[in-house]
Amino acid sequence: MIYRVRHTTRYAYGGTVDLAAHMLHLRPRDLPFQRVISAAVTTQPGASHRRDGLDHFGNPVTWLFIEAPHAGFEVTAEAEVEVRFPDPPAAGATLPWERVAALARAGGPGAWQAAEYRFDSPMCPALPEAGAYAAGSFPPGRPVLAGLLDLNARIRADFQFRAGVTDLSTPIAEVLRRREGVCQDFTHLMISGLRALGLPARYSSGYIRTRPPPGQERRRGADQSHAWVGAWLGPEQAWVDLDPTNGVVVRDEHVLLGWGRDYGDISPVRGVMLGGGDHGLWIGVDLEPIREEAATGR
Amino acid sequence: MRQHVMRQICGGEAPLAQRGQPWHHAPGMTDLAPLDEMVDGAGGVRPHWGGLLGALGALGRGELAHRAALLDRHFLEEGATSLLPGGADAPAWRCDPVPLVLPPAEFDVLAAGLAQRAALLEAVLQDVYGPQTLLAEGALPPALVYANPAFLRSCRAPEGRREGPLLQLYAADLLRAPDGQWHVLADRTAGPTGLAHVLENRRALTRTLPELLRARELRRHGPFFDLWQDSLQRLAPPAAAGRNPGVAMLTPGHSSPRWWEHVILSRRLSCALVEAGDLTVRDGALFLKTLRGLQPVDVLLRRMDGRRMDPLEADQSPLHGVAGLLEAVRGGRLRIVNDPGAGFAEAPGLAAFLPGLAPRLLGEPLRLAGARTLWLGDPAARDLALAELGRWMVRRAVDGTVRSITAGALPEAARAELAQRILAAPEEWAVSERLPASVAPCVGTGGLEPRPIMLRLFLLQDGQGWQALQGGLARGLAMPDPGTGARPCMPFSKDVWVPLEDPAAIQGPGQLTIRALPIRRATGDIPSRVADNFFWLGRYLERLESGARLLRATAARLATTSPNPRELAELRSLAACLVRADLLEPETARQIGTLPVTAALLRAVRERWRMQGLLNQVSRLAGLLRDRLTGEMHLALNRGLRQLTEEFDAIPAGREEARGLEALGHACAGVLAFAATVAGLAAENMVRGGGRLFLDLGRRVERAQAIAAELARALDQPGAAGQPARLEPGLSLALELRDSVITYRSRYLTVLQPAPVLDLVLADEGNPRGLAFQLLAARDMLADLEGDRASPLALLAEALLEEARAMVREVAEAPSQAGAALGLLPRLAAMEGEVATLSDRITRRWFALLPAPHSLGPAPALRLRGAA
Repeated sequence: MIYRVRHTTRYAYGGTVDLAAHMLHLRPRDLPFQRVISAAVTTQPGASHRRDGLDHFGNPVTWLFIEAPHAGFEVTAEAEVEVRFPDPPAAGATLPWERVAALARAGGPGAWQAAEYRFDSPMCPALPEAGAYAAGSFPPGRPVLAGLLDLNARIRADFQFRAGVTDLSTPIAEVLRRREGVCQDFTHLMISGLRALGLPARYSSGYIRTRPPPGQERRRGADQSHAWVGAWLGPEQAWVDLDPTNGVVVRDEHVLLGWGRDYGDISPVRGVMLGGGDHGLWIGVDLEPIREEAATGR
Repeated sequence: MRQHVMRQICGGEAPLAQRGQPWHHAPGMTDLAPLDEMVDGAGGVRPHWGGLLGALGALGRGELAHRAALLDRHFLEEGATSLLPGGADAPAWRCDPVPLVLPPAEFDVLAAGLAQRAALLEAVLQDVYGPQTLLAEGALPPALVYANPAFLRSCRAPEGRREGPLLQLYAADLLRAPDGQWHVLADRTAGPTGLAHVLENRRALTRTLPELLRARELRRHGPFFDLWQDSLQRLAPPAAAGRNPGVAMLTPGHSSPRWWEHVILSRRLSCALVEAGDLTVRDGALFLKTLRGLQPVDVLLRRMDGRRMDPLEADQSPLHGVAGLLEAVRGGRLRIVNDPGAGFAEAPGLAAFLPGLAPRLLGEPLRLAGARTLWLGDPAARDLALAELGRWMVRRAVDGTVRSITAGALPEAARAELAQRILAAPEEWAVSERLPASVAPCVGTGGLEPRPIMLRLFLLQDGQGWQALQGGLARGLAMPDPGTGARPCMPFSKDVWVPLEDPAAIQGPGQLTIRALPIRRATGDIPSRVADNFFWLGRYLERLESGARLLRATAARLATTSPNPRELAELRSLAACLVRADLLEPETARQIGTLPVTAALLRAVRERWRMQGLLNQVSRLAGLLRDRLTGEMHLALNRGLRQLTEEFDAIPAGREEARGLEALGHACAGVLAFAATVAGLAAENMVRGGGRLFLDLGRRVERAQAIAAELARALDQPGAAGQPARLEPGLSLALELRDSVITYRSRYLTVLQPAPVLDLVLADEGNPRGLAFQLLAARDMLADLEGDRASPLALLAEALLEEARAMVREVAEAPSQAGAALGLLPRLAAMEGEVATLSDRITRRWFALLPAPHSLGPAPALRLRGAA
């Protein structure tokens, strides 16, 4: 599937900002299963200093600095990607989850990079409550992917999607108590539970295709940033991407920007400004399929 | 035998030596008696202590105790004491009069071993912040890297290697085991502390015990610090080529417990001492905001937590630092030493892997043994440790700042609980073998006593290799539990002596390669923050003084039992002035004229007391400027402020009005004397320009504003337009508030007329309490600062001066002087406003006072204290 993404973030400041520094994770990551055909990040006003590079996790990152006084900031990321996540292995053919945890603990060849994602991170510690919830999907000896699929489906079933009841500072324990939230909350919850079991899990940031109600046109800008879970199956089978918000395995309806230990590592736009007072925020995401590949069978 | 030796030292007086604290005994190595640094196994004095003991013996016991007290006083007065964690309650920094002597050959072996260890840690850091081969090949467990809070992901170069050294300064804590070998207990790589104490210990010892230093020639500290200064300059990135590299030391500021050390070190290294708020990143490079504008900083000597340096990239809720700092490093425009991520190598668990990593990374075995350390993430190590937990010091695997637990000293139940915690998450724990520390002679209550000590040595990367400071810091241990190596919590320190083996050689460390030093210039630029603080110190000092003047005048008038109409008129004006100065509530001021005035006013003054607030402001600013004020100035400010605060606090409340007024008058007189002392000291004691200029400027601006405001309130006498005589109380008050009564009388005798009074208050350039004097001084200073007499700010001051002259001229020429004087009221109000504008423009021009930074993204609406 080939998509064209347009992601605009607009800040209107209460006063003049004299100096601003931004760190952006807005260019999709190039991967064997995701070919980045083009990607560009433009800002208004333009940057006085800019660098495009990779972060510790290997994600594309843009640092930019604005030194002229400005009353607002708009950043637009446009990209074309061809994406087809690999099909997951047969669940029964994956390693027992305890074995995956042991391999991650040992580290070394094949496992050292994945091992990073089993430790606490600032926004996503391994919470005992989340661990207890996740443990329901992982009886002893169960193949890891079977457990993961079960957990993914349980979160979809047990939790209400409701925007506005949680924000970035809502702790995972409260999401667990309320049984509602948005994609970020479910992703953090699932990662936290998996880490409590010793399983590496990472936070994937990106977009998901939305389908208009029957008989209606696609609305431009109505799409949103999305988040889901990457879970480790062991050195051989590597990673599988699971979307607990929708209870699905990620295949070709998602576009990946990058991943980290939690939202904090991969937030699309962060910044520090001098001045400006309060700010208003508008975000518009448009994910447009421009060619369906025959190979996907759709 | 030991007592015999001690008696010899101290002139044969009664038994002097006492045994140190009892050891906690545990089976194994720890059963051995601690080694004595001074006395060998046979009871004889080790040869390298000979000369020192002779000198100590010659002093005698009483004299030695006296010198010890002198040493304590030295550190109290230096302010080293109050700067330890815990504030004033923390135990004083103490330097024991008896140094620790290390034979040169032994010291050189230690230095070489530590140089190798530092090189190894550098190699580990380079790998972890670069390709991470050690992880990929399983030579380091992921838990020691990815769970280490000091592993800073934003410092990693995922595509290659980090440029330049990540470590410049390294320190190790060592102790000597009963087998005679020194063992490394802790590695200090984030930003080792204690160097200022090394310098000060030697300085204090030289001053208080000159006899000791005459006994033996020592290797010197100087070359180490010279080399450090030189290395900092040479670290400057290529972008700095062709100019004098800018070097600055970044401190968390005056509230940091290590502030004293930062002040001493930055002076020794001749680099600017800066806080995050002094710095800004522009166009990918770092700059210091100074009065001369933005000055480039090429090398930053980091003395703050690496995790808090860049709010743009820090993990969550960042509240400190400079946004873009890491980008400046990434872009090769800035070097930070030690690297923000260097604290990674302090993880105690890492020590377990160093013996294996040395051959792999350096091609040779580790030369200097560390205390045997196990990382409990390894099941075999875990079982070994748990089998006999009492033998070990238990430490957090990735956090070297947490105190270690001496498991053997725990009660049974607590030890079992600790074992459970370890079992629950073994990879979070490490253990090190408990080694009994060696003892060294120290001055105690009963003469010399052997006490356990730990040694901290310092090494510097000079671009060629690692060079050791020829000395160090020995610290007394309350218990043989030195695991964390944290500097505080120590009863005393010792200077470390390495004797010069060949007195003919002028300097010990022959390994120093002498190369041409680049020219250094102390630029003397003062950071805008410092200028800002001086400006406000000046303003608050003046505000304090003029408040005291107003209150004293008020108290004097209230002392009379029933004020006459003239005094009542003056009181009304005074009350208006007090309201303006925020020393009186408008409510109370309105009651003037209805009786009983005294009670109401005095009560209001007492209840809404604001003079202590002003004293606090002055004290706060003086504290912030501690590193910029001379000792004398600092002492005068501190003593005066303490005394005045006590005096104001002691003003009696309740019905004793007369006594209250008297005490108030007395306290105000004290403020005026204090202000005069400070002004005199500033004039005599501070270098012209820079800080002093802003102190003066603040004073002039504040005073000019008060003169205009108070004159307007004095002249505002109801009915004066019709009856010029009604203006008289106002005129006399105007003179009194400007301390100009005597001058006026000497010129005009007792006749009060508006024009002469206004001339003295507004236009006489020779009256230091008059407006013209303030504006003239401000104009000249502003012209000096810009180096331009026609600069906009100097011109503004000039225009105000012209307006002051015009006001007086017009009154003098008017047919009715009283009427014309009353007509000045709006112009005086405008003058007050214009001076405030001048102050604002000074602030904007020189202090780059920008709004507080805040953040977008993960922590929205979070106010950041750092600078962007």
